[in-house]
Amino acid sequence: MAEMKTAAYICSGCGIGERVSTAQMAKIAQKEGKMALVREHACLCDESGVQTIKDDIEKEAVTHIVLAACSRRVKTEAFNFPTVAMARANIREGVIWSQPEDAEHAETTQEMADDYVRMGCAEVKKMKVPEGNPNRASNKRILVVGGGVSGMTSALEMAEAGYDTVLVEKSGALGGWAAELVKRVPSQQPYADPADTGVAELAAKVAAHPRIALHLNSTIAQTDGAPGRFSVSIAQESGATVTEEVGALIQATGFTPYDMMKLPELGAGKSPNVVDQLGLEKLVKAANGGAVKRPSDGGEVKRVVFIQCAGQRDESQETEGRHLPYCSGHCCATSIKQAMYFKDANPDIDTMVMYTDLRVPGTGEDFYRSGQQKGVTFTKGKTSSVEAAGNACKVSFKDLILNEDVAIEADLVVLATGMVANSGMNIDIPEEEVEKMEVKPISILNLNYRQGKDMPQLKSGFTDSHFICFPYETRRTGIYAAGPVRRPMDMTQAIEDATGAAMKAIQAVENASLGRAAHPRSGDLSYPIVRLEGCTQCKRCTVECPFGAIDEDEKRFPVFNESRCRRCGTCMGACPVRVISFENYSVDTVGMQIKSVDMPDEFSEKPRILILACENDAYPALDMAGLQRKAYSAFVRAIPVRCLGSVNTIWITDALNGGWDGVMMMGCKKGDDYQCHFVKGSEMASYRMSKVDDTLKQMGLETERVATYEVAITDIERVPQLINDYAEKIKEIGMSPMKGFA
Amino acid sequence: MSASIATNQTILVVGGGISGMTAALEAAECGKQVILAEKLPTLGGRTALLYRYFPKMCHPVCGLEINLRRLKGNRNVRVLTMAEVSAISGTRGDYTATLKIAPRYVNEKCTGCGDCGKAVTAEIPNPFNYGLDKMKAAYLPHGMAYPQRYVLDPSIVGTPDGEAAKAACKVGAIDLGMQEETIELKVGAVVWATGWKPYDAAKIQPYGYDRFANVITSVEFERMCDPHGPTGGKILRPSDGKEAKNVAFIQCAGSRDENHLRHCSRICCMASLKQTQYVREAWGDEGKSTIYYIDIRAIDRFEDFYQMVQRDSTVSFIKSKVAKIVQDEKTGDVVLHGVDTEGYKRYATPHDLAVLAVGMEPSIKGVSLPADIVLDSSGFIETAGDGMFSAGCATNALDVNRAVQNATAASLRAIQVINKTASMEKA
Amino acid sequence: MSEQATARYTNDFLREVEKNVEEGHWVKMCMQCGVCAGSCPLGSAWAHPPQEIFMMIRAGKREEVLTSDSMWMCTSCYNCMVRCPRQLPITHIMHGLANYAHRLGLSPKGQPTQATATLFWNNLIKKGRVNELTFSLALYFKDGFVQGIKNALNMQAVGFGLMKAKRLNPMEILGGHAVKDQAGLKAMIAKAREIEDRKKGFAK
Repeated sequence: MAEMKTAAYICSGCGIGERVSTAQMAKIAQKEGKMALVREHACLCDESGVQTIKDDIEKEAVTHIVLAACSRRVKTEAFNFPTVAMARANIREGVIWSQPEDAEHAETTQEMADDYVRMGCAEVKKMKVPEGNPNRASNKRILVVGGGVSGMTSALEMAEAGYDTVLVEKSGALGGWAAELVKRVPSQQPYADPADTGVAELAAKVAAHPRIALHLNSTIAQTDGAPGRFSVSIAQESGATVTEEVGALIQATGFTPYDMMKLPELGAGKSPNVVDQLGLEKLVKAANGGAVKRPSDGGEVKRVVFIQCAGQRDESQETEGRHLPYCSGHCCATSIKQAMYFKDANPDIDTMVMYTDLRVPGTGEDFYRSGQQKGVTFTKGKTSSVEAAGNACKVSFKDLILNEDVAIEADLVVLATGMVANSGMNIDIPEEEVEKMEVKPISILNLNYRQGKDMPQLKSGFTDSHFICFPYETRRTGIYAAGPVRRPMDMTQAIEDATGAAMKAIQAVENASLGRAAHPRSGDLSYPIVRLEGCTQCKRCTVECPFGAIDEDEKRFPVFNESRCRRCGTCMGACPVRVISFENYSVDTVGMQIKSVDMPDEFSEKPRILILACENDAYPALDMAGLQRKAYSAFVRAIPVRCLGSVNTIWITDALNGGWDGVMMMGCKKGDDYQCHFVKGSEMASYRMSKVDDTLKQMGLETERVATYEVAITDIERVPQLINDYAEKIKEIGMSPMKGFA
Repeated sequence: MSASIATNQTILVVGGGISGMTAALEAAECGKQVILAEKLPTLGGRTALLYRYFPKMCHPVCGLEINLRRLKGNRNVRVLTMAEVSAISGTRGDYTATLKIAPRYVNEKCTGCGDCGKAVTAEIPNPFNYGLDKMKAAYLPHGMAYPQRYVLDPSIVGTPDGEAAKAACKVGAIDLGMQEETIELKVGAVVWATGWKPYDAAKIQPYGYDRFANVITSVEFERMCDPHGPTGGKILRPSDGKEAKNVAFIQCAGSRDENHLRHCSRICCMASLKQTQYVREAWGDEGKSTIYYIDIRAIDRFEDFYQMVQRDSTVSFIKSKVAKIVQDEKTGDVVLHGVDTEGYKRYATPHDLAVLAVGMEPSIKGVSLPADIVLDSSGFIETAGDGMFSAGCATNALDVNRAVQNATAASLRAIQVINKTASMEKA
Repeated sequence: MSEQATARYTNDFLREVEKNVEEGHWVKMCMQCGVCAGSCPLGSAWAHPPQEIFMMIRAGKREEVLTSDSMWMCTSCYNCMVRCPRQLPITHIMHGLANYAHRLGLSPKGQPTQATATLFWNNLIKKGRVNELTFSLALYFKDGFVQGIKNALNMQAVGFGLMKAKRLNPMEILGGHAVKDQAGLKAMIAKAREIEDRKKGFAK
């Protein structure tokens, strides 16, 4: 890369020029910021402003620019200079819009603007234009684990988009549970009758597709690597192992029906005439078009009772929540479909669906109506017991509408049990706990990752994303979950889900081949760089990485798998010896900003408060506070950080040593309902900061000088309030005694 | 924006809500060229107007910020706002789309400084608060608006207010002579992500939405609870501004009803369960929420949320479709009449406020569309044609998570068309 | 288990209703939302609102349903019908059920709506025209002679008013007006009855 040449551009538009002296800012950029080139402009984002910058880049060989104008969140289209390093000093939202427009505040407003110019200049000099992960690999084949409807759909959709696919299925045939079904719930208008499953056709297409390589009777013995360069060992039935090189994986390992034998109170195991939904499919299949016979004696089936939510939605005291706490979503429609098997064959058979809430969303309502039209009856009731009574079953329940306890007889009872995710090992269970288990969990992916063999699970064993807006965000980059392993779902949704996961897998291999990050910093070309010679093998980075991107070598040095990295910087924040950095975001890019500000003396009554704000939530909230002209203390200086997890405690100690009077850290919500985009970043930050008190005490400082806040993007009123309250508190405890020692 | 930049390798996404943004971004992050057309002046759609999401109670604008960042960082997506598709002709891999672009009267020079807004005096009902309050006729739709560019309401063009706005703008961004434009685009595939609209509550006559001030819709309640909404986040009765502590939620207001919407709108049960927690957040133990329902459809792991709300002592559930609402003229209370069907108990219960959990109606219903788009009996897109696909709530009544999932899938289907067209052209 | 219990929740009675009751095939379509129950202006006078009756039918409560006076309370205001989200013709079903119960002789004895309807019908089919005078008198005296006199005295003013307005003719007591072809009417009604009996399972 060419030699660094710096330039600063000071915009006086949007009222900046009327509120602060841009000439003074320009002088600071030149004198203190040591910018080689400094220009003022009346409206930097207009054509002439943008052209000026472009010309400087082309003709003056400028490589590093500072724009002292508006927030980095706006005018991104105008200020698009991908070949140079750029820092943006937020003078508009961060200074003139957040400060009252009066003479009294003119001086402190100017000081704020001046400091942001200093900080921008300090930052940019430490930045490099990211060049993209050098360890990129561009294998674009994609491996799918699981040959059910979800897995087959993923494989086929990717193949149809032109990507070679490997499909691994542990059994000897494609189809999964769906192959056991006689018919499926319809997915098309008029949503009236059970429809063909289409599984055989799908399997035939998959088997015949030239882009799909099939491994039946096979499991994954080991998965090594990272997006773009996974190496997957596949164990075959014969005992042989083959290796497939792929760029991404989809886990579509489906579900296991909840073990009905855990429901003796509902007659399971007590009468052969009590079956689960798959059991019924088997009976109907076995009848081969004829009438379904009563399993106990082959007698005629005159009445079938379907019991919904069997062993599901359970958190009741009586059962101590020992069954599934969730609803499996598909079972209401499935029972209606199964009742139709009987009604369509012989309307004289009574079929009753016993439910507490009938859950057939969307156009499922049409299917419900169709079921009623066909004479399926529905009873809002709660079953208390099912017992064998000769060749029949006695079903005792409370009719919730008629408000009475009843017992009836049925020839066949179908329990709508739920879906249990086949997600492999729960890596959050400590090894010593696993040791104690009678049945050892079996890994599916056998990831050769430091953090465990399978994908982290979210809840109840499902490998779902915690993000509502981003349903595919697993915590293992380049590995996506699809179908009922991700979340309980019906076939229609599984097909959609598998197609969406296929999209994400394709994107993962494309991004990996270009050395770019995946969501949420998609397109980011920076990557973690480690100076191993300084590493003390403390393992914090390998443990704390929310995405399991860092392994360890034999000598216990961290091994960064850049393609697995999401660029949150949690490792950088964790590192006690500060050997981890990104080209455009490092201990120095932030550290130098902290050191660059003009620090008034102890008697100035002008404290300085550092804000380290999550760039996705707290920082936009500050911006929007500015947009709405909500004033806050002029003593703060805000620095956006990728994630609070990336905050290295050195920044805090540097700030305090440098005479800053307080540090406010603003990150996302942590805990069960975390809102951190990097999953554990804010939690990690909070953990680290819980130990900062000792450091403060050693320095002889009040513990209040460092404060951590959970701030949401909508806290537009709250953020200025927090700042003002904190400034007030600093005033109370007084100025830092550390000033002037740095 | 000129027509020439689009080719048969381009994907046109119609609708800039969360589904459209997702479909566009997923494809663009795979290196595809995308045009994202939104008929309003800003992206974000209906999710930008929600206060919180179920079940995490997190803020929808947080995800919007991420998606906007993805968009800002990606040069493959070109955004057209105030643009409506008026015609589409051609076939898979070779469509010509005609778009009408309404005048914004503000060009790309706008810095979002707000000077025009200050200069204008006229006010218009604020559509981003469902008309519950007013805003200036020169406006930025909301804090998260993208593009962050002002809009002039057509009503002030040709008035002194329009001239005042123009005079106030220091960067020459206001162009009062802007006209509606029609552009034609060549595209290879089309994704319809046209979303939904709340069902017109006034059509549900017995609930008196058009007669009683204290009967409001769930989307209005959502704005009311938002600190940046029309009441600053206070739950107040529209009739007298009194604090509304006893709130009724009426499920299936329009949905599951052959007289209104045939389908179940899926989101409303969860939305009301979520909104009971707004009441709790506002009033603590003094708040009282009552949900009148037929079936609580808290599907899959949302069941947790339902169970959590059931444990909340301020929330009660009544299995009943409310028969009618009358307003007590003296107190302003809304009195709900009906029968609790679990054991036949009649009720006539006063509440401070009744919130109708209105159903989802596909926005595309009643709009003229290319002939190969087939709608189902509810007006959702069932099949969109060979190179056209639907995404999100244009497909079905979906919650945000499922809409995004669906849009991601739609994105791949569009890519398949583009990749096949490309490989055929190479061959 | 008692025989009655095992018979419960079979669809026998539902099928009987579907077959024999006017619009009875709609009963299965009810989704138990209860809007009909809440919409009925006389709802508080009912032992069982329509939605509950539909559930009782599905639960096989034949006797309870058919001997109930609930469906006799319907005044045909149609509130329930216009509000029913499943568009069940609830008003018609109520009348159908009442009629069926009456035909079976299971309807509650002395139920006033039923008594009035019976008197009205019997009065009407005699000559094909309603005889207001004899119909009123029959109504007044249905609970005995003394009560009849009391009723007549109470209604005296109304009676004279009607006479003045020529809406009531005292000469009707002598037999009153009639349709032209009384024999034809009788044949028609007999045929209609025959068809209905066949439909509703009363054919001998």
